[in-house]
Amino acid sequence: MGTHSSHQELKLNKFELSSTLKGILGAALLIGLATFIFGFVKNPDRMWPAYLTAFFYFASIASTGMFFVAFNHAANAGWSASIRRFAEAMSAFFPYMLGGGLLLFVGIKYLYAWGVPETYHTLTGGKQTYLAPGFVLARMIIFGLGSIFFAKKIVGNSLKQDTTGDHQLTKNNLSLSVGYIAFFAIFFSLFSIDLLMSLLPTWYSTIYGVYCFAAGLQATFAFLSIVIVVMKNSKWISGYVTEEHQHDVGKYLKGFSVFWAYIAFSQFMLIWYANIPEETEFYIMRSLNGWMPVSFALLIFRFIVPFLVLLPRGSKRTDSILVGISALVLVMHYVDIYWLVYPNFFDGIPQFGLWEVGMFLFFAAIFLGSMFQFMSKNNLVAIKDPRLHEALKHHVTY
Amino acid sequence: MAKAIGGIAGIFLKEATVLKAAARVRESGFVKFDAITPYPVHGMEEACGIKRSTIPYVAFAAGCTGLMAALALVWYTSVVDWPLNIGGKPMFSLPAFIPIMFELTVLFAALSSVVALFVHAGMPKVDPPVIDKDLTCHKFAIFIPENDVGYNADRVEKLLRELGADEVKKVAEY
Repeated sequence: MGTHSSHQELKLNKFELSSTLKGILGAALLIGLATFIFGFVKNPDRMWPAYLTAFFYFASIASTGMFFVAFNHAANAGWSASIRRFAEAMSAFFPYMLGGGLLLFVGIKYLYAWGVPETYHTLTGGKQTYLAPGFVLARMIIFGLGSIFFAKKIVGNSLKQDTTGDHQLTKNNLSLSVGYIAFFAIFFSLFSIDLLMSLLPTWYSTIYGVYCFAAGLQATFAFLSIVIVVMKNSKWISGYVTEEHQHDVGKYLKGFSVFWAYIAFSQFMLIWYANIPEETEFYIMRSLNGWMPVSFALLIFRFIVPFLVLLPRGSKRTDSILVGISALVLVMHYVDIYWLVYPNFFDGIPQFGLWEVGMFLFFAAIFLGSMFQFMSKNNLVAIKDPRLHEALKHHVTY
Repeated sequence: MAKAIGGIAGIFLKEATVLKAAARVRESGFVKFDAITPYPVHGMEEACGIKRSTIPYVAFAAGCTGLMAALALVWYTSVVDWPLNIGGKPMFSLPAFIPIMFELTVLFAALSSVVALFVHAGMPKVDPPVIDKDLTCHKFAIFIPENDVGYNADRVEKLLRELGADEVKKVAEY
């Protein structure tokens, strides 16, 4: 209640990063770069898995962030018009996603069975064709370039509308968004299969792409929740982002916590029930050598805790609770990808150290840096979106 | 079956007017009045002072009951009453039970939400008195029953007219 009757004054200032934050980002980038170069030369076996984990972490958040933009356009959603720009800003990472993916190919011989000629030739059943490094690279480039293309079109139209106010741009974005959703469904699945599932080329799961998508989208909503709470209380913006938007993104976060658990369990239960050796190896690797607590941590902190905490209405409208749970989900998203990648390395014994931290800082700095740059170059709100009035009046009834 | 209660209804033609009127009627001290609109009007709950319903709590409690009931069901059938060895798995295999627990949680929560909704809305109402046929189309009404606090036919009529009612009539409602 309350916010409906007492409309805040609308204010939109230019987004500027404080010099402290700029310094932190710069330091993170330097630490990350140093870790990468040092690891590249001295310890590639240790550095590349950390690189892959951090790279996939931010690539999944950025592309599902774009997916959020696309499905809101496709559904002609009005309530999200004033917060859409934050998700659009995540697409600024796409060029780096392509670059990071290409760089990953330098290290394939440390990561994948298909990256080394001797093990590549042991692959059977058509996998030599599918996992031929050139073919994998081609799919990766299509995913990267396609994402950049759609972001340029959809986000570009949205930015153009800020000056022209042309309603046709919104209509154009609808069909483009449907195109992106189809593209994303196919190529994000292939992206996760190529980069993560092929770490263990003898094992496959047909639900793997959906699993990575569910994980990424949940993390995106967590990240978006934090951005919204920060923006709501910031000096840059006032009136455009309210408790009501926060509430709805919180609902999405809760909903996709359930969706993640649903997909994760669907994958687990069928394999557990059928008990076929070629399928169970994935879960056996994740129940031995100290991986069991990590597996259970995923269940508890990625599903049970966020779900139960976000269930009451009040917790989604309380800044500290929503931010706390979002931070937990973002940490668990890293744990999730770590859980997908690391059992394939170091004889299945968990390894965590400065390498992982360094590579995470590297991509975090690039992701946040590109996003902040986008936000300081453009308006923080799509100010001439024809549906903006719906977003401003948005009101969640109980 | 609930008995129809007489009262006075004001018919309004504009959404904005009825929204303001509802808030004013509430400020005038009436508590049992009702706003009747052809579609959900944003902000009407606040204007009428309608509190949040207990349906979410009913759903949560019923969901928890469903979860436990399902666990008891599968435990009794698969472990106690008719234990079957399936693929050498333990009799009490939680992963195999989760789909049933999930489904019964949803079933209990959903059905009891519907029941709670009916109870809250006082349904079913068979053949209620019609205040105005156009209330399902393009008109809005505020109905003040005669058993409301400080009800006075003349005062109510005057109030509704002041608030911009197009028409004021004596009617009955449940």
